[in-house]
Parts: sequence; C-alpha cells; structure tokens
Amino acid sequence: MSEILLSNQVIVYLLSESILFGLLLIAFIITLEILIKWDFGSYSEQQFRLERRAYLVMTILLFVFVVKFLLLIYFVFAIDSLSLLVPGAMCAAGVISANDYGMLLLLLKLLILFFLLLWMAINRYDLQAKNYPLFRIKSWLFVSIFLVIAIETGVDFAYFGHIDTLEPVNCCSTLYGQLEGANPLPFGLNTMILLILFYLLYVAVMASALSSQRVSFMVALLLFVFIAYYSVVYFFGTYIYELPTHNCPFCMLQKEYYYVGYLVWGALFVGTYLGLISSVMEIGLKVERNRERMVALALLSIFVLLCTGFVAIYYLRNGVFL
Amino acid sequence: MRNSPFFHFLTLEFFKERKKHMGVIAISLVILFLLSSVLFISSSIRYSLEQTLDQEPDFVVQRIQGGERVSVPTEWMDRLLEIHGISSVTARVYGRYFFKSKEKSFLIVGVDFMDEQSHKALRTIMDEVDLREFLKGDNMLVGGGVSHYLKSHFYPKGYTFLTPKGAFKKVHLFKVLPRESNLIANDMIIVPIELAQEIFGMNEEEVSDITFNVPNDDEWANVEDKISSFHYDLRVITKNDIKKAYENLYNYKGGIFLILFLITIVTFVLILYQRYSMVYSSERRHIGLLRALGWSINDVLKLKFFETMMVVIVAYILGVGLAYLYVFVLGAPLLREIFLGGANLHNVITLVPVLNFGILSSIFLIYAVPFVSAVLIPVWKIAVTDPKEAML
Repeated sequence: MSEILLSNQVIVYLLSESILFGLLLIAFIITLEILIKWDFGSYSEQQFRLERRAYLVMTILLFVFVVKFLLLIYFVFAIDSLSLLVPGAMCAAGVISANDYGMLLLLLKLLILFFLLLWMAINRYDLQAKNYPLFRIKSWLFVSIFLVIAIETGVDFAYFGHIDTLEPVNCCSTLYGQLEGANPLPFGLNTMILLILFYLLYVAVMASALSSQRVSFMVALLLFVFIAYYSVVYFFGTYIYELPTHNCPFCMLQKEYYYVGYLVWGALFVGTYLGLISSVMEIGLKVERNRERMVALALLSIFVLLCTGFVAIYYLRNGVFL
Repeated sequence: MRNSPFFHFLTLEFFKERKKHMGVIAISLVILFLLSSVLFISSSIRYSLEQTLDQEPDFVVQRIQGGERVSVPTEWMDRLLEIHGISSVTARVYGRYFFKSKEKSFLIVGVDFMDEQSHKALRTIMDEVDLREFLKGDNMLVGGGVSHYLKSHFYPKGYTFLTPKGAFKKVHLFKVLPRESNLIANDMIIVPIELAQEIFGMNEEEVSDITFNVPNDDEWANVEDKISSFHYDLRVITKNDIKKAYENLYNYKGGIFLILFLITIVTFVLILYQRYSMVYSSERRHIGLLRALGWSINDVLKLKFFETMMVVIVAYILGVGLAYLYVFVLGAPLLREIFLGGANLHNVITLVPVLNFGILSSIFLIYAVPFVSAVLIPVWKIAVTDPKEAML
C-alpha cells in the first residue's frame, strides 16, 4: 500500500471530500428534479414540495461551501507535510508537481470556491427578492458546479494515488527560480515594469470601482490578479524570505515565515472573488452589489499594503533593496 | 448586536433541552477521546524520535554481502578521512546479545572513547563520565530497561558475558543512561570498542559500521555519491533516510488505525441520522409553534444549525481535553504499548506534549464533517414542517 495514502492528513482529507461529494450528489438529484418540474406560478402540492426541497439544496451548499473553504487550507497544509516523504520536495511546490494532477487540482479548487461564492451571492439576492427571480440561473449554476466538483473529487483520488515516493521531484527553487537566464515573467516584462504595472493596475481597480465603471473594473481586476501573482512570486516573495533567489509561492505558507502566505494569498483571492462576483452580478443580472465590492477593495488594499510593507520594512532595517 | 435575541433564545433552548443532547455528546466524547489519544501518542512519539534523530550521526557506512550486513574493515576509515568536509569519523561495533532464556536481548554498542564522537547524544553522555575511571577496567553504560532487567535477575553490579570462544567476560555496571534517551537506548549497553569486539568474537581489524558527520548540509548528496563509488559492496545511509523510514512507520501505525476508525465513523453517522430523525420528529409541535409565531424556514434552519454546532464544539473541546489529560498527564496507560511495541525489554518513556494545528484540525474535520452531514437532512425535514400540520 502506498505510504501517501496512509498519511493521516490525506485520509482525513479524502474522507471529508467523499462525504461532501455524497451530500452534493443528493443535492444534485433534487436540483435536477426541481429544474424539470419547477413552475412558480402553480399552487399544486408538487410545487410546494419542490420549494421545500430547494431549502435542502441550499442548506447542503452552504455547508459544502464552508467545509470546502476550510479544506482548501487543510489541503495545502497536508501536501506541505508530505514534503518529507517525497524525495527532493522541500515545500508544497514539489509535492504539487509530483504528478500531472497536482496543479490541475489546485486550479480546480480555486475555481470551485469562486463559483460557490458566486452561488451564495446569487442565492442571497434571490431569497431577499421573495419571488425567486434567479432560481433557474442559480440551479443551472449549481449543476455546473456539481460537475466540476465531480471531476475534482476524481482528481483528488488520482492525485494522491499517484504520488511516487521513490521518484525525486523538483524543489521550488528549480521550479520557479533557476531557469538558466530565461525570463519567467509573461510578455517579456522585467521586474521594474512588472512593479509599475502592479501599482498602476491597483490604482485602476480602485478608481474604476469607486467611479462605478463596471466593465473596466472587471478587466482591471483580472489583469491585476494575473500581475499580482507574478509580482508576489518574483518580487515580493523575495522580501518575505529575505533572499533574492528564493522564488516560491508555497514556502511562505510554512511556519518559518509565520504562515504569512495564508494571509497574502487569502486576501488576494478572496478580494478578487468578491470583486468579480459583484461585477458579474451587476453586469449580468443588473443588481446593485456595493457591499461585496467594498469588502473586495478592502481586502485588495490589505494585500497591497502587506506586500509593500515587507519591502518597506526590509529597506528600513537594512538600508538597501534586495 | 443584531443577533443577540436569537443567541439568547438558542442558549436558553440548549440548556432546557440538554437531556436530549446528552446521549449524542456522550457517544461523541468516547469517539473523540479514542481518536485524539491515538493521534496525540503517535505525534508525541514522532516528535521525540525527531529530537533523538537530530543527535544521530549524519551518515552511516555499512558493508553488504548477499543483502546482509557484514563487518567493515577498519582501513575504510582512512579512505573516508581523506575526503574534504567530513568530520568525526567514528567506528562502531554493535550487535544483539541474547540473554540465556533467548527471549530478551540487549543491544551492545562498542564505542572508541578516544575518538571524537559523531553521535551528539553519546558525546554529551561521555562528557559526564569520568573516562579514566571508566576505561580502567571492563565497564559498561546501560539503558534504563537493561538496568531494570539486570537488577531483577540478581545482577545488580555487572554481568558476565559468554563470548563465542567459550570464555566468560565479567563486565562491571558503571552508570545508567539518562531517562530521556529511553526511546532508543532502552535496551542498549555501551562498552569500549575492544570489549565489544571480544564479546562478539570479532577480530581487531573489523567493526560493524562507520559513522561520520558532514557539517555542510548542501554537500550531503555529493559526499554520498563519492563514498558510494569507493567499493561495490558499500552502503551509505543518511539521517534523512532514517527520518523518512520512521515517518513511514508512524504514518503506518496511525493510518491503519484511522482506516479502521472509518468503520466507527460510518456507524456513528448512521446512529446520528436515526437519532436526530427521532428526536426532531418529537419536536414537530415545537417547530410548528415557532413557524406560527412568524419564523421563516431559514430561521429554523439557522437555529438547528447552531444547535448542532454547539453540540459538536462542546463534544470536541471535552473529548480533546480528556484525551490530553489521559495522554500527557496520565501517560496513556495501555494504549501506548501499541506504539512502543514492548516485545523486548519493557520501556518507560515520558510522552512530551505536542499539540499542533495539523492534529487538531484533523480531529475536528474527521469528526465534525460526518457529524454535520448526518444531521443536515433530519434538520431540513423538521425545518420545512408546515405549521398547520404540526399543530394537529
């Protein structure tokens, strides 16, 4: 039996994922029934039963969202602790790249969280509106979320089942760092332009949000996440590690750096999610979502302040930049 | 404090209906207690092992013949000393000495006391020993288990070993090793290297293996490569290999337990589902009243959800707290024998309290996720009760 599957964290993680999938399967079957038979204008017994069942779907999804969110943190933590067993790995980066499923799994998880959050926002609005104006949209959204989660659960098992504990993997400095002079940044950017873009895009996000330019807000936000990822890995990260050659998005999640990575990535992703959700709902469904947008701006500002803070503190302490 | 009347109502209700929750909390307590105890013991032992391993020499060189470890010629030591970056090359002689009854055995370790020791724990022990006194006659240092065993078999001062040549060798008991080293040194006897060679019937040119340190971590892989190319029958073991082997061993023990534990969890979920279906159906009138008073389905769901969370959290805190007391205050009687495997000499160790996010969150997830999942459907069923129907 594989050593990986006996690791306590992996067992707990896979068990939780399976249970959630079981619950979602129930919710999925109910949703299909509802989608086929739903008629809000009807006063039949069946319609009342369906409306009640819709509450079960809602309850399950609420629960799944909370647990999925906790499980993402737990997942990163679990693969971090596996790095001792996988030869060559020094942090989660190596374990994630131990087979082809790892990166896919992480991306799927981020995607699922986004859609679950979107579903919650739509659901909230839908319940306030009394006559379920968005009912079909949110049900179809759930159907697609369920399909993605089904794939994710499969990839979960495929990923943990296929980690080879004998074959060495790359550690983060070979994955992200030493590329033999090749420029890892997209579009041939250099660090200086990357940073200028980072701050410019932040200003653009803030400005378009405050002046209610919805489309440009969404575009600026998407560009900002993209650039922010590279800036953290290739510039701000080096100040967190206080080492100019250390480029890794995962090491900052470890104890040595006071788990600051959870805060950095958490603020960036949750902020972006909320921003995107507010603009998707405003553009697509024509509903006003100011609260989400404000929270998003606050989180993104925390993210930018945190990143800048690391650089500033390093400069104040040592009098030089890296 | 928009919600405060709600929470006030929730706590009032929780205390009024506390009898209803007692049963579930009691079952949860037993399950959580067992689970957390096992995980606590396993992580505590793992932690102690890591601490002990940090003291071990970085590298061990052995000779392999037909897959079996055989004696290493001492001239290999000189080859090793020529490599830059290697320090504290030490020869070791060790092996098991079977006590007459053949049921128990000691691990005899022969050490060259004149060399610089690559084993850090050994180095500190040696610093406390008066070497001149120790080397004067045939003396030995013994672990806690050995000392206890010898005393109970009427050898309080020393032991007479029988060498393969048929001669008797009387060795005086010099000192008992400190209790902190019990995890690895429980059945260990440390003697000067010549004495060990005599007891095992080896000649003076042979040792069991050679250990050394490489202070620069980045050079480990390099040194390993270099040394492996010396001889075809040579095996190099690094400290990381041992660490990984231990990690696997304890993952295995904890993992098998967890997998068997899944059966318990499934049973637990079924019991919960049944019980809450019953409990809630007796509550229909109550919920009907709340609904008639103007509560929405969402409000009832919220009430029931928080009620469940309170049960979960109360049981979690009590269960983990009890397990903490049992493992780290009482020393986990009975249960720890599974992990220590006391087949040879009986071991007495102190479990060091280790609590980290990993264990606590694992316990919480494996308990709370199945629990809440089992309760969701009964909760929903009761929440959507029609007030009119319920009052009939």
